[in-house]
Order: sequence, then C-alpha cells, then structure tokens
Amino acid sequence: MQAAVGTAHVPHGHIHPPPDTFIKKYIFSQDHKVIAVQYFITSGLFFVLAGLLAEMMRAQLASANNTLLSPQTYNEAYSVHGSAMVWLVIIPILTGAFGNLIMPLQIGARDVAFPWLNMFSFWLFPPAGILLFGSFIWGAPEAGWTEYPPISLQQSFGTSMWCMAIFLIGVSSTITGLNFLVTIIKMRAPGMTWTRMPLFVWATAVTAFLSFIATANLSAALLGLLIERTFGVPFYDPAKGGSPVLWQHIFWFYSHPAVYIMILPAFGIVSEILPTFCRRPIFGYKAIAYSSVAIGLVSFAVWAHHMFTSGLAPWVQLPFMIMTMIVGIPTGVKIFSWVATLWGGNIRLTTPLYFVLGFLSTFTFGGITGIMLASVPADVHEHATYFVVAHLHYVLFGGSVFGIFAGLYYWWPKMTGRMLDETLGKIHFWLMFVSFNATFLPMHWIGLEGMPRRVSTYDPQYQDTNLFITISAFVLGASMLVFAYNAIKSTISGREAGQNPWGARTLEWMIPSPPPYYNFEDIPVVLSGPYDYGKPLPYREIKGDLSYMPLV
Amino acid sequence: MSMGHEEHKLDAGFWRATIVMGVISALGMWGVVIFPIQNYVPEAAGIAVQIDWLFKFMAFFSVPILVYVNGYMLYFTVRYRNRKGQPIDEPGSSIHDHKALEFWWTAIPSALMLVLGILSYLLIPTYYTAASAKTNSVTIEAIGHQFSWAFRYPGLRDPVPDELHLPINVPVTIDVTSTDVIHSFWVPAFRMKQDMIPGMVVPMTFTPTEIGKYEIVCTEFCGVGHSGMRDRFVYVQSQNDFDAWYAGEKTKQAHQPTEVTAAVLASGDAAAGQALFQSHCTTCHNAAPFDQRKVGPGLANLFNDPAHPELLSGKPPTPADVAEILEHGLTGSYGQMPNEQMNGISAKDIADLVAYLKTLK
Repeated sequence: MQAAVGTAHVPHGHIHPPPDTFIKKYIFSQDHKVIAVQYFITSGLFFVLAGLLAEMMRAQLASANNTLLSPQTYNEAYSVHGSAMVWLVIIPILTGAFGNLIMPLQIGARDVAFPWLNMFSFWLFPPAGILLFGSFIWGAPEAGWTEYPPISLQQSFGTSMWCMAIFLIGVSSTITGLNFLVTIIKMRAPGMTWTRMPLFVWATAVTAFLSFIATANLSAALLGLLIERTFGVPFYDPAKGGSPVLWQHIFWFYSHPAVYIMILPAFGIVSEILPTFCRRPIFGYKAIAYSSVAIGLVSFAVWAHHMFTSGLAPWVQLPFMIMTMIVGIPTGVKIFSWVATLWGGNIRLTTPLYFVLGFLSTFTFGGITGIMLASVPADVHEHATYFVVAHLHYVLFGGSVFGIFAGLYYWWPKMTGRMLDETLGKIHFWLMFVSFNATFLPMHWIGLEGMPRRVSTYDPQYQDTNLFITISAFVLGASMLVFAYNAIKSTISGREAGQNPWGARTLEWMIPSPPPYYNFEDIPVVLSGPYDYGKPLPYREIKGDLSYMPLV
Repeated sequence: MSMGHEEHKLDAGFWRATIVMGVISALGMWGVVIFPIQNYVPEAAGIAVQIDWLFKFMAFFSVPILVYVNGYMLYFTVRYRNRKGQPIDEPGSSIHDHKALEFWWTAIPSALMLVLGILSYLLIPTYYTAASAKTNSVTIEAIGHQFSWAFRYPGLRDPVPDELHLPINVPVTIDVTSTDVIHSFWVPAFRMKQDMIPGMVVPMTFTPTEIGKYEIVCTEFCGVGHSGMRDRFVYVQSQNDFDAWYAGEKTKQAHQPTEVTAAVLASGDAAAGQALFQSHCTTCHNAAPFDQRKVGPGLANLFNDPAHPELLSGKPPTPADVAEILEHGLTGSYGQMPNEQMNGISAKDIADLVAYLKTLK
C-alpha cells in the first residue's frame, strides 16, 4: 500500500543540541521524557506517603473502639490520603508521567507542543504536594477529599492550604491538558490519521480534553472556598445566605470527569498491552476509540449522581441516573472488546499482561457496583457507606492502579533501557491481586449492613471483618516492596532491554531504549494502523542511530 | 504463514466453556434469588423490601456478566497461550471486529439498563411524596446537630433528643434538616437516607412495617464527633405503645420548665446530668482539669479550678454563669460553644448538667 503521503510538510531541519548543564538536563528540563521521569519519582513518593496514611487508618480500624489515633488524626489521615491519591498520585502518573513519556513517542513527535509549559506544569506539582502534606503542621483538612462546606469552613488553617494545593494541581492539570491536546492535534507524524493513532493516544486525547475543560471549574470552587474561609464572603455558608449544595455541584462537575481522567489513560494502557502479548489486532479498534470519546462527553452530564441524597428534586435525579447508566454501555463495550482480543491470540503471559488481566477482573467488578450506585433508590441506601468505599477502590485501585502497574512493567524497559525481573513481577502481581480483593471485597458487605464511611470507631458487629481487612491491607502495602526491590534490582543489574523487547508495533518501540534526545532523527511516515501483527511494519523513514543521551 | 490462524473458529472447547459458565451463572443467579437479605439487615419498612428487590435485580444480572467476562478471559488466556515449540512472534487471529457480536453486546446491556432505569424511576416517588397526602399519617421533623439528633413531633413542645418513635403501619414523612453542618440521617433497616442540609428541609416518606429497635447512623462527615453519631435508635411500636409513649412524653414536657430559673437550677439531678454529659458533652469536653483541652476545656472541678480564667480575675464562676453558657452558647478565645437549641437540650437538662458538673472534682 503506497499511501500518498509526502514528506514535504515534515518539520525537519536542524535539531537543537541537548542541554549541557545538570540543571537544564535533570531539574528544569523541557524534555518530555525527563519530565515524565520527574512525575514518576514525585508521584511515587506521594504514593508511598498516602499509602502509609491508609495503613495508619487500617491500624486504627483493626478494632471497633480503638484509641490508637485520635478522631482528629484519623480524619486528617483519610482526608489527605484521598486527596493525595487522587491529585498527587493517580492523575499526575497517568497524565503527567505516562502521557508525557509515551504519547509524543507514539505519535512520532520530537516533544510536546509547548515544552516550557510542560516544565512549568510539572514544577507546580511538588509545591502542591508540600502544601498538602505540610497542612498537618496546622491541622490537616478533616472532611475527606470532598471537603463539603459548612464543616470545611469550621476547620483550621490546614484546609486553606488544601485549597491552595489542589488549586495549584488544577492549574497544572489544565495546562497539561491544553498542551497534550495541541500536541495530539497538530504534531502527529505525517500519515498518522486519527484512526491510525495508537489507542493510548486516543485515551490521552480525551483525558487532555477533560482536564482542560473540567479542571477550571474545580479551581473556581476552590477559590470560592478559600475566599470564604479567609475573608468570610459567604458562597457556601447557609447561615449567611450561601449554599452548601452549590459547592457539591461545582465540585462534582469537575470531580466526576476527573474519575474518567483517572481511568481513561489506564484503558489506553490496557489497549496497548493486549495486542502486543496476544500477537493480534485489538478487537474493535474504532469501538474502543470512540467509546472513550463517548465516555468523555457523557461524563460531563452525570455529576449529580454523587448527590442523590442531597435533596435534589426527583425529576432532577432522573436524567443523572439515566446518563450514568449510559456511561456503562461504552465501558462495557471496551471490556468485551478486550476479552475478545484474547480470543485466537498467541498469548505470552508476561507481567504486564498479568496486570491487565487483573485489571479486567477487578475493574469489571467496580463497573458493576457503579451501576448499582447509579440506580437512585438503591443509592439512597448505599450512599456514603463502605459500599461506596469498596466501589471507588475497585475502580481507582483495581482499575487505575492496576493499569498503572501494567504500564510500568510494560514501558519500564523503554524508559530505563533495562528489563524488570519477570518472576518478581509475577510475585508482586499475585500478592497485590489477592490482598487487594481481600481488602476491598468485604467492604461491600459491611457497607450494606450499615457501616458508614469516614468513621474512626464503629459498631462492634463489624469488628471481625474489619480486622481481616486490616491484615489484608498490610499485605497489600507490603506487596509494593516487591516492586520497589524489582525496580532497584533492574536499575543496578537489569538485563539490557534493547529497542523492542516485547516485539510491539507502535512507534515508541522503533527507537532505542531509552529514547535519544529528540526521539526521532527523521520524523517517520505512518502508512496504516499499528496493530496488524503478521504484516510488515507500517512505517517509513525510521532511523534509530542518533547518538543518545541516557535518561537515568 | 501470516494467515496461519485465519481458520480460528468457535470450536467445541469454546461451547463447553460457555455451557460451564452458564451453569455457574445459573447457580449464582439462583443464589441471589434465595439470598435472605432480611436475615442480615432487617427490612423494617415497605420501601426496604422494594429496594432489596431492586438490588437483587441488579445482582441477578451482574452474576452472568461477571462470570462470562472472567470466565472467557481465563479460558481464552489458557486456550490460546503460547505453547512449547510455537514461535513466540507467530501472529494470532487477524479478526479485528465482528459487527453482529458488537451490536448484541451493546444492545443487551442497553436493554438491561433501560429496564433498571424504569424500575428505579417507579420507586423514586414512593419516598418523595409527602405522607400527608394520605389519610392517617404522621409528620415529624428531624434536626441534625453536632453531634446528636432531635425529633420534633406535632403537639410536643420540645424536641425529643436522639430517640425516634414511630407507630407501625402508618405512613410517616420525616422532614429532614440541620442547624449547623451537613449530616445524613440513615436508618439501614428502612434503606432510607437523607442528607440533613442547613437551610433546606427535605421530606422522606416511608411506612414502618416491623416492630423493633433499629439503629440511626450519621453518614455525612460532620466533625470530630461524627463516628459517635450511632447507637441512637428508632423504635417502631404498635399504635397503642406509641400513643402511650407520646402521652408520657407530653406529660413529662408539661412538667418541665421552659426557662432556667434559680428554682429550676436548684432542682437539678446529677445522675441525669451525668448521662447527658456522656451523650452531649464528651465529644468536646473531658472530665479533666480546665487546661486539658479536647475541643473545649476540661470541666472537672469547674467552679474551683485555679486554671479557670474567671478565678484568675478573682470571680469564681457560679452555677448561674454556667447555666447561662449552656443556654446561649459562647463565642470567645476558647472557641465556640453551641447554644441549647444547637445542642438539643432543655431547661431541665441544663439544671441536671449543672448539678452534675458541681459533683465533678
């Protein structure tokens, strides 16, 4: 197939020499790959801290009327745990880290559209983390990651720091969204039409759109809260004429699309890994790509399903229930397509594929409980109980975090040039998969029985289940040590990965590992989609002999 | 060679696996149908039975979805794994879509959602339509406080703290609101929950159908005492028992003073005050020296504690001062103390509390 794609409009010409000072190379770098590694390291650190907070909470909950943590400390722990996991871990890793590392490589670009903004966006992120964790000094926020007023108006200065931290993250997220959107629209290699794009790029495009559009609303809500806390302007305090439900509307108008910001890139990761290890095209490429778009659009019209007990009129609840159920359809289409991709493959059971299969299993469960929460009358019983805690961990841990680890095992060789140990990876997977389910599955049941969320003590009838959950949560935490050991071992003595250790067909595998500065000496020309195993590679003009600068 | 796997077809193994999953699904669905939810969480209201059926409807169809997704995933992974001697990069099937299959796996879940949507829609009005539309109903106001509940009954002067009494088989509408922050009023046995939002009154209607004592739980984080907002109960009673309770409450309130006069203050009952202190005060106050703060100061030996700021200025606090604070609340350098309405306490309660505080050394 000779596509009529010329090279006339390829932005060729001279390549800037790589930066020469340590600071320009590794600190204030504008190279998307270095920035990605910066995101991985920073988010990884916050993942450890937020995870330790979760273990503290589980230690407190090991017995019904435990006094290990004071109620205040417990409330601070779960609030910062949730805030950090959402805004400092999952969103930055999936967009900042994976988006930066993989997306420009997969579209055959030399960098993102605005490298300076990319650097700026990253450098908003560590101060946000310092503000959030630093709030413990003045008394961290206590009202959960949602910080509903009026209770959040009663809290100490730490809550204002929380507002500032999340505001910074919001700005960073908006900028990254804009940056990625422009990059994907304008900088795809010649011949890479929309339907020739890898599915991770599709997912990143929709995510970038959501980040760009939705996050500004969060910023507005946060600024309102900060102004009210600092200057007493009553946006949310009903005693002074404000509306507490206003906060809930704006907060969820952002935070529901944010749920898809946290899961769509994981969908993209899964869609890349499956064809590679099945040696066959992804089943339903267009269905998967367009369903991401559908999910992204519908996600703006479901926010009030978090508010079915907030006193909305029944006729207002109805459309939100319907839209929420509609989200289930494209999500189901994706899951069925992924399972169908396994059919008729030549399947190599590597660690990334283990995590993908784990993802499919746990995320499907989280999706089902999501439908159960969408039904208004059922939600009236389930809302704000441990059933919700279980559901959100099935989608955010069982979905996003399993997806993140799948992507880490898959692209680690590309990022570092070295392989991770497969045996350790599989030990990590089994420990994590079993202890994850042991931790969060029983929560559904105690929630339905009557245990509310956000409590530091509870009715003794739930004690045995909670003790079991606590022990499982400790194993879950410990399973991360296997990965840490694996990562260190790989860095010191890992096998050289070579250019394309998995035999994949997307563009990032057509260049050395780690990729050279400026990625592609000549911008490649794309002749067809990336997943047709068994056919010749669909690229022209790939040269992989740039003298390269190792990343780490 | 690249076309080597074009002949992949749905073989006998596939259909065997499909049938095995069908049997597992059927067993699971049967389990859902016979599962006795009411043995674990009582169904004490009409709506609870309906919501449990809705939940079972969802669980019923979830079983085959979970079994087939997980089952096919595992079956395909094992069936099509790379085998010894098979080249690792030999391409698999090149089939990349199947219109009919994709149509059905979109259409069937859509149809299920439609049915679920209609069922849910039919249930919503039953708990949002005020019971006063029907004859023989009762309307009660439920008010959330940090950290207690208060229930106002028609014809009773004072709200009843932390205890909800309902007659059986009478439609009840509870008008839910709050005076401070957002709480959420949940009775798991009724499957009913409504956020208590300051500035809003939201009705919630149901009919209790089983006599018993059921826990009320707060499910919206409301402050440092949130975890303690449980172990309060709703009592569903026969009409006679309810009437007797109501009459007794009315008599009790008639004998209760409305203002904290000196005489009322002198009649305080320290034992009753101790119980009130445990339920209403310990969230923020310890029975400890004044400078040992929890949220507010410690209250042991309140009238003689040398750490008390009033003592430093030479004017020891009097029972009347303390009663004044309990009545009207306090805003000052020590923080904020809610007033008697916010705390849901009566004049008699204040007298009892003062009597109890006097006994603390």
